[in-house]
Amino acid sequence: MPPRSNDDPRRHVQILPERVGNVSGNDFPGHYPGEDHSWNLKRFKENLIVSLQRLTPSTLEFDLVGVDASIANALRRVLIAEVPTVAIEDVYVWNNTSIMQDEVLCHRLGLVPLKIDPREMIFRENPNAGALDTDTVVFQLRVKCDRQPGTQGETDPKRKYWDSDVYTGMLEWEPAGAQKTKWKRKEPKPVNPDILLCKLRPGQLIDLTCFARKGTGADHAKFSPVATASYRLLPHIIIRSPIPLEHQQKFVQSFPPGVIGIEKDKRGQPQCVVKNSRRDTVSREVLRHAEFEDKVQLTRIRDHFIFNIESVGQYRPEDLVPEAIKILLNKISAVEAGLDKLFDPEV
Amino acid sequence: MSESQQDTRWQSQNPNPMAPRPSTFKAPDVLNYLCADCGAENGIKSGENIRCKECGHRVLYKPRTYRIVQFEAR
Repeated sequence: MPPRSNDDPRRHVQILPERVGNVSGNDFPGHYPGEDHSWNLKRFKENLIVSLQRLTPSTLEFDLVGVDASIANALRRVLIAEVPTVAIEDVYVWNNTSIMQDEVLCHRLGLVPLKIDPREMIFRENPNAGALDTDTVVFQLRVKCDRQPGTQGETDPKRKYWDSDVYTGMLEWEPAGAQKTKWKRKEPKPVNPDILLCKLRPGQLIDLTCFARKGTGADHAKFSPVATASYRLLPHIIIRSPIPLEHQQKFVQSFPPGVIGIEKDKRGQPQCVVKNSRRDTVSREVLRHAEFEDKVQLTRIRDHFIFNIESVGQYRPEDLVPEAIKILLNKISAVEAGLDKLFDPEV
Repeated sequence: MSESQQDTRWQSQNPNPMAPRPSTFKAPDVLNYLCADCGAENGIKSGENIRCKECGHRVLYKPRTYRIVQFEAR
């Protein structure tokens, strides 16, 4: 089989002025007479492309080509709701004389991302049993606000008082059992020490104990390891016939910068060419102008997914996708085992 | 700003130590009520006049007791 081309109209989702056309793929058995579209591992491997586009300490952009939308969507959903993280789950309030109600303060604490490797912790098996050093991490928050001496006439609360602002950096980890040796030099702490939890005034204090546990985003959004996990289809622009010289500037300006360029052709004539369709926002501006009618076709590649993932901080962004794939594979094994049981003649 | 300064910026700055957590939940003999007007602490025993010793204000607030309450962080 020849390598698949982005110009193959079967791979195109059409972007039309008023609607999106040719949305669903037809590459299933029996649709095209005389063509074999049965699933084939060798062909799947040939067509599958995974390529990293951009990696920063917190974000990841990668291309996933040659899979069905159901697989790409499963990956996205697993990233959001099934990859586990550790977050504060139980709060024991000893005292809280701040203006913030206990319930509100505890809810805020739960949403604080914690820098604890979830792979080194287990899920709590029995919610009624006592906490174990393998399933619970304890943090203490003890803050008291006092007046600073010798600050007459000062108006800035930060200079007038001590600890008028309570930050996540004030959460102190309390090692339990084997945790001290296990997490030497990677002590559990909040990902960001500068999140403002509450404000205090002299005489007010907050004194509480937090129990952090492992959970998944399906249970509560605070456990989700991604700030965003989304995909879009690769835009693909086809210039059907040359754009006349007088319209070329307007054509270039109908797209975001860098999408269309003007290059000299073989005869030395300037021509509009597609430079980088990835940068297109698919605003369809070009379709509004009568002079470009039938000269350009906007499409997206149906099986080319551009993933954008932003980690909250518990995992490195490059570790998130392998973790999600592991979870997806476990789900497939569970279905496989269930099917085996269902069709087992012995039972 | 230097690296070490950056690290301690979000930590507690108050040099005064906090009172330890009570180990028993025994009611104290003298409760330190807070004056609604001047904010002074007033140790008032039962039978005494309900009146601030500093300013004479007749409204006093009872402070929150130091007891543990469990909440779900949800």
